[in-house]
Amino acid sequence: MRKTRLSDRLLQISTILSTLVSIIGLGLIFQFVFARGLSLLSIDLFTSNYYGHNYIAELKPYEEMTYSMPNFDDEDVFVIERFGIALRQGIDLAGNGVVEVEYVHPDSPFNTMISAEVGVDTVDMDANNIIDRISYVDHPTSLSRRGAEVMASELNDPERVINQVFFADLGGGIRGSLITTLWLIFMTLLMALPMGVLTAVYFNEFAPVNMLTKTMRTFIETLTGVPSIIYGLLGISVFVPLTVALTPAVNTNLIAGSMTLAVIILPIIIRTTEESLRVVPQDHRAASLALGANKTQTTFKVVLPQATQGILTSTFLAIGRIIGESAALIFVLGAIVRDRVSIFEQSTSLAVHIWSMMTDEPANIALSSTIALLILAVVLILNVSIKLSVYLFEKRGKQ
Amino acid sequence: MTSKTSNKTSLSQTDTIVTNALMVLALIASSFIIMIAVFITAQGILPLITNNRGLGSVNLWHFLTDTVWLRGDYFVSTVYGAGFLIVNTLYIALLTVLLSFPVGVLTALFIARIAPRPIAAAMRTIIELLASVPSIVFGLVGVGLFLPLIYNLARSLGFNSAGGYSVLGTVFVLALMSIPTITAVAEVSIRQVDESLAQAALALGATPTQANFKIVLLAAKSGIFSGVILAVGRSLGEATAVALVSGNARSGPSFGLFQTTATITSTLLQGLKETVGIDYDIRFTLGILLMIVILLTNAALNFVKRKVGNQDA
Repeated sequence: MRKTRLSDRLLQISTILSTLVSIIGLGLIFQFVFARGLSLLSIDLFTSNYYGHNYIAELKPYEEMTYSMPNFDDEDVFVIERFGIALRQGIDLAGNGVVEVEYVHPDSPFNTMISAEVGVDTVDMDANNIIDRISYVDHPTSLSRRGAEVMASELNDPERVINQVFFADLGGGIRGSLITTLWLIFMTLLMALPMGVLTAVYFNEFAPVNMLTKTMRTFIETLTGVPSIIYGLLGISVFVPLTVALTPAVNTNLIAGSMTLAVIILPIIIRTTEESLRVVPQDHRAASLALGANKTQTTFKVVLPQATQGILTSTFLAIGRIIGESAALIFVLGAIVRDRVSIFEQSTSLAVHIWSMMTDEPANIALSSTIALLILAVVLILNVSIKLSVYLFEKRGKQ
Repeated sequence: MTSKTSNKTSLSQTDTIVTNALMVLALIASSFIIMIAVFITAQGILPLITNNRGLGSVNLWHFLTDTVWLRGDYFVSTVYGAGFLIVNTLYIALLTVLLSFPVGVLTALFIARIAPRPIAAAMRTIIELLASVPSIVFGLVGVGLFLPLIYNLARSLGFNSAGGYSVLGTVFVLALMSIPTITAVAEVSIRQVDESLAQAALALGATPTQANFKIVLLAAKSGIFSGVILAVGRSLGEATAVALVSGNARSGPSFGLFQTTATITSTLLQGLKETVGIDYDIRFTLGILLMIVILLTNAALNFVKRKVGNQDA
């Protein structure tokens, strides 16, 4: 008797321990992504380019004056009243000292400068830039490695006339990938949602019960078991050539990526929509038909509106899948991060952006974690939205 | 044509048009699986049957049995071998199931029968969340968190590991990914077990734990097995996470836990340089191989399920 009790307890403990594995697993994922990625999370991340860019510029003709500057209560910030800018002594990711632009006065000659680059007229400096060096007429150049304080005092010297400003945009932003992801969501849903919902309507409302229908259902159901990398192969053998033939695209592109994603999410939309069509009471159909409506009117005016919640759920599920998809898109969309997104060109979604950085040497784990943090946040919000929509529709249904 | 069909059924003319239009859509939707099979097979078979622009064809037997992915240079050599990839893929899937099956099923049992209601509800949400974490995030966490741990573990045990990229790392990541699948399916089938079975066991003097493990789990084994089949299919087909943590070995097979490895999917993802030529086409051959491996594994597991599963289920 006693032995049994002991083994009972051990078995019970084993179930609790197993449960802990999942909790710890999820906890570790969130903890890792937060710890590594939170520090890079800022508004700049969403608005700035991924690739850094160097600029060479000259000042437009300007008047010597003293700008009234805001008060910076920071010993690393040095104000240059002569030009209306403030510089900060900063440290880059590799630990080297850099001179960051902290503030540019709206009237400052640094605000809009004449670009020395061929084909570009003007270049703007803003608080995201770092200054490499500033050369003067008949004076030695100010170098960033001597620090912001020295550079600021040299700039404040009224004897010096600026020849050229060498500055850079650090990059590291995800604007391009964010735009690509939004495009993907939009175009994929545009293709898959009508097709999926109408197919579900066909199966649940119109399809005869026969071998053909059964086979079609099996075929669609089989799609869910296909690994996403196989969809990638489908994409490059069918959708990429198709888009290259029909659009200005010459290589893998966003439209082909959306088409591939549309096939991936199609079974999800069909199944979820069908589930919600199935629970529409048969009486409603009968009542509508008895009032003289034909089958089409009944389906689209009486039955389908009652499936709104299911369609909404399927949309949320699909968005989650689109945001998380990586393997298929690496093939069909490419793995090269772009700052300028065109639907006819290669680019990366947020998930593929992670892939692209993780397969780089060295891997950028910090920015990858920041993107992962965003993806997880969106997935979390989608999950909550699904629960909320189910709850709200149930509540409305009861009234 | 529309008038003919409308005579047969009671549908109006609009209905007939709508039905036919919807059927066309449904036919397109169900044709994608055929498209996948046809196009991938058509392109994947090219390296085997053509002479690849003068390079000679890929020997099928060699392709299926060799232990080095490519002997010679890209776009010059046609000596591809995926034999070790098949072995690696199945080996990793097996280890993954060995790890995730007990954990997943015991978790399901805890949620379905042991945990108090609020804890069970919370756990369901946690499992759902874990299931919705994208694979690339698993790969990232695998690289940043698991690999350094494995590297240190290997060093403290006196083994060499290439920065932690290993069979073990791959199995950990895949196991964590497949636990929610197994748990979710197992939990549903455990809850569907007739309560009277457990009651009868209790009445005969079994403890609740005995009833859970010896009666309920056995009664639910068919459903539990379905979850396992689903999870194995996923681990076989998972690509990005595996490619990030496996180390992408170019030869094998790798049985040692701390050895670098490569699977069919991870090799598929390696350096897509051109969109023509043998190195491009061979990916489709790998794609065919992947689908065959998944189908055969599925068939084998379904066979086992029928043998050991409940007769009535």
